[in-house]
Amino acid sequence: MSYKVITRPLKRIDAREKVTGEAKFGADLNFSGQLYAKTVYSRYPHARVLSINTEKAEALHGVEAVITAADVPGENELFGRFPVFAEKEVKYTGDGVAMVAATSKSIAEKAASLVEVEYEELPAVLTIEEALAHGAALVHTDAPGNFIENTHHLMRAGDVERGFEEADIILEKTYRTQFVEHGYIEPEVVIALPEPYRRGVEIHGSIQNPYSIRENVARALNLRISEVRVIPGNLGGSFGGKDESVMLMAARTAITALKTGRPVKMVLTREESILESAKRHSYKAKYKIGARKGGTIVALENTIYTQGGAYNNKARFANWRASVHAAGPYRIPNVKTDLYGVYTNTIYGGAFRGFSAPQVVFCNESLMDELAAELGISPKEIRLKNCLKPGDELVTGQVLRPGKIPAPLKQMIEEVCSRSDFDRKREEFSAGNSGDEPVKRGIGLACTFRGTGLGGEGIDTAGATVTIEKDGSVNIVSNLNEMGQGMRTAHAQIVAETLGISYGRITFSPTDTSVVPDGGPTVASRGTLAGGNAMLIAAQKLKERLLMEAGKILNCSWEGLVIEDEIIQYRGKEKLSITFDELIPRCIMERGLTLSAQGWYNPGPEELDPETGRGNAYPSYIYGCAVAEIRVNTLTGKLDVDRITAAYELGRVINPQIVKGQLMGGLIQGMGYGIMEDTETKEGYLITRNFDELMLPTSLDIPEIDIILYETDQNIGPYGAKGIGEIGVELSAPAIANALFHATGRRVRELPMNLERVLLGRALKR
Amino acid sequence: MQEFDFVKAKSLDHACTMLAGKRGRAKVIAGGTDLMIGLRNHRLSEEVDTIMDISGVGELAYIREEGELIRIGAGTTHAELALSSILWEAAPVLSMAAKSIGSPQIRNRGTIGGNIITSAPCADTVPALLVLDAALLLRRGESVRQVQIADFFEGPYRVKAAEDELLLEISFRRLRDGAKSLFDKLTRRNALAKARMNIAVIALQDKNKVVKDLRISLGSTTPIPCRFTDAERLFLGKVPRREDFLKAGQIISSEMVEKSGYRWSTDYKKPVVEALTAAALKRVLKAE
Ligand SMILES: Cc1cc2nc3c(=O)[nH]c(=O)nc-3n(C[C@H](O)[C@H](O)[C@H](O)COP(=O)(O)OP(=O)(O)OC[C@H]3O[C@@H](n4cnc5c(N)ncnc54)[C@H](O)[C@@H]3O)c2cc1C
Repeated sequence: MSYKVITRPLKRIDAREKVTGEAKFGADLNFSGQLYAKTVYSRYPHARVLSINTEKAEALHGVEAVITAADVPGENELFGRFPVFAEKEVKYTGDGVAMVAATSKSIAEKAASLVEVEYEELPAVLTIEEALAHGAALVHTDAPGNFIENTHHLMRAGDVERGFEEADIILEKTYRTQFVEHGYIEPEVVIALPEPYRRGVEIHGSIQNPYSIRENVARALNLRISEVRVIPGNLGGSFGGKDESVMLMAARTAITALKTGRPVKMVLTREESILESAKRHSYKAKYKIGARKGGTIVALENTIYTQGGAYNNKARFANWRASVHAAGPYRIPNVKTDLYGVYTNTIYGGAFRGFSAPQVVFCNESLMDELAAELGISPKEIRLKNCLKPGDELVTGQVLRPGKIPAPLKQMIEEVCSRSDFDRKREEFSAGNSGDEPVKRGIGLACTFRGTGLGGEGIDTAGATVTIEKDGSVNIVSNLNEMGQGMRTAHAQIVAETLGISYGRITFSPTDTSVVPDGGPTVASRGTLAGGNAMLIAAQKLKERLLMEAGKILNCSWEGLVIEDEIIQYRGKEKLSITFDELIPRCIMERGLTLSAQGWYNPGPEELDPETGRGNAYPSYIYGCAVAEIRVNTLTGKLDVDRITAAYELGRVINPQIVKGQLMGGLIQGMGYGIMEDTETKEGYLITRNFDELMLPTSLDIPEIDIILYETDQNIGPYGAKGIGEIGVELSAPAIANALFHATGRRVRELPMNLERVLLGRALKR
Repeated sequence: MQEFDFVKAKSLDHACTMLAGKRGRAKVIAGGTDLMIGLRNHRLSEEVDTIMDISGVGELAYIREEGELIRIGAGTTHAELALSSILWEAAPVLSMAAKSIGSPQIRNRGTIGGNIITSAPCADTVPALLVLDAALLLRRGESVRQVQIADFFEGPYRVKAAEDELLLEISFRRLRDGAKSLFDKLTRRNALAKARMNIAVIALQDKNKVVKDLRISLGSTTPIPCRFTDAERLFLGKVPRREDFLKAGQIISSEMVEKSGYRWSTDYKKPVVEALTAAALKRVLKAE
């Protein structure tokens, strides 16, 4: 099959305005008469709120409103138990107890400091261990044991007891990962306006998931869903993060906008953003694995606690995803997996690129190398021996059929190893490391698989509207959101390909909840997969309409017509043709047709057995394999990544430039997570509050990256595409951990592998 | 944010008169790469009502060679230091330190004067200037004084200068023929990271490898940045022995613990100070 528009590295559809700075972001928007809002945050990790006195703040000239829980017209508790305002109790230092709105930013800042809150401190639980300890203080009195509601997910395959009996060797290891901040360049912003023409409120801002935020704001304001309109505009990155805190900001500013009758704008400082936005969940994972002498894995058992923080609405989904992937991309007949979300009086876990995979894959792939070392076989061999191959049964019971759910993992491991010269370098580095030179080199391998889309988390629907205008321009709008990942461009390419027209004709409108129906959130690498399918469906409807009309004009049967290079032509008969430019005005002006179509993609629910967790977890999977080469100074603990070679199977590449960008970006973000990024706390207070402390990788830390792409056919996405937004982030940390072990002979089981952990094997607490 | 008047100094005299007239209520801004952060974090004294910008005062930006003496205007940026061929030849230890700072943007704005006056424990030019035995020239109103850099620091972020005193110049003697120097820095990432620790060394040996001169300074190690003369003395007048490299590190790490106390970070810093010292000495000194 040859394609005209997809599979090409076309320029992003919104590149020009973003590069020139013409594109506006939330913070650039201003409305006349707007107020500036500022949240008053909790002073303690856990405390009873005895009183809130807003008098002094209200008396300040320029202050138009000071609101607290008492001002919330509807429900104060939103999805995941997040309070619009903490009322009786604060549960972490990012809780908002009040919000001020004033005529200038500086007045708002001053007013926030004048709100007087009286607290009575309560005992706080700050770690997974503390939360699970017998008699621990409860974060939510109705959540016994500090377990988060609906977060226990499990997987049961075979019989692990019997499996371990068959094993010649059993290893038990515990791994830990940290809370990680997204570090998007644009801090959160929300502007709420009283609807000018009707009852309701209009919300703009850096909002990843406009529909769920619309629903929650409606609840808080006691409005109907249709009375809340959300327009996310352009986002300067999100990675899963602009969700819970933005939901609260939207509710708070919307309440104030309706109360004062004025637009209310709130832009977080970086410190506020890091304080109250979600983080990648911190994990404590206990693993037990059994294998035969030859390296065949016979059983795996793991219990994983995911730290959810003070409130949480993501662990219930992320833990489920983890339960499907917690045995890795391997054929293991006996598996017992349990995941539990745990409340603590700390920053909270949310969605962050990978959604449980960065944690689980770090644990699994470290464990595979530990097992290989114990068995005295190479990391490559143990993976080749056990990895999923066509015809194998996944832990879920799904059978990997060539074509339907292809599993080219074995081939990918072999190719990545030969391209990176893995075997030879392993020997060469080992030989070089034996001297007393303090800098050692290491090479490490890791692989992964990833269920595409939402799978059993929810129904993977998406909506799109495609409209052809009189002048032949084609506008697209999706219910899914562009956040910098390039989804809009992929959508435009899919529509242009389907309609047989040039990419240059496509324009886009931003997502707007009052224009496109609710097709769910922009998550789970489903922008191209589900969102692209909706575009494809809409474009196919229009194409059919155009061909039927052309058939009438050309006096031929429409089934024989094709559109290619903007010409509608009867197959094999050049004379029977009409151009796109001729056809469109005739359809619209002469025939009165609508050339606007809605696409709705609905794959239906996936079936799962709640007793075992088995079933059709995901309709398809993608695969990845990476080799990292590092240098580490054994006297200081300084670790540098020199090179990453990686391969990914992702169905069809819609835009190779964007795909590589996403994968490289993911690998780099995964490296930051692996070796430097952390959120430090002291007694429940966050120390890492800005980019000076949050160690994101810089351009000088980025290794050489070599990426191989595998394409396969017959996937469920548009033109066979699957999702690639997240898998890139998964492999760096484990490949680096394995390389570090190769270099030094020491295993680091806690992230990040920073100076102290590499040198001393443990972190130091301030 | 605090409210203040912003004044751009037209000349050195204008700056000094202005500062003297304001009696501590005016604050100098050079590159602003430290001051702006302080301002945002409310670290600026409430008294300050004027910020005076000296970044346009050309009289403060120069690198001059006068015989054996190198003279650097306090307003010289790190980028200018890192690009100066005079400096690479006369005192590469300072060039290396300046080159390691922050990022191109920070080096284009940040000045050597600001680095010294802020006197962060991790300031990168400070250990380099300590091993160069630099002298500082300061002016307050009409009166000018000179002070050795080793006597200038009072503690972390504290220097012995008056609020209305302006740092004019940093000067030092060029390295002697045959002397070697080195600056090294340990960071959590490869750019835009403050030093966990940094080290500057100058060494001179004669033909017979006898150490004629040795100066060692490490940043983020002691509350008052200093040279480690006990460690230096281990080598002076002798031919270095390999085992002394680590021993010098141990002397320095004990001095660190003695002066800073055993802190949360000491478990890490102690072995690393020793390793950094030994590695640096190994690079600049020829052993038996
Ligand atoms: C992102 C970032 C990265 C950084 N990385 C590094 C690094 O790697 N290494 C490092 O050492 N530092 C680093 N810094 C700190 C800073 O850049 C340096 O200390 C710089 O040299 C400060 O110079 P400045 O001209 O910007 O000082 P300013 O901020 O203008 O002033 C700092 C202080 O010095 C006073 N002052 C300035 N000039 C004079 C003068 N002539 N006389 C009297 N007082 C004066 C000011 O009043 C103020 O108190 C970094 C800073 C940032 C923001």
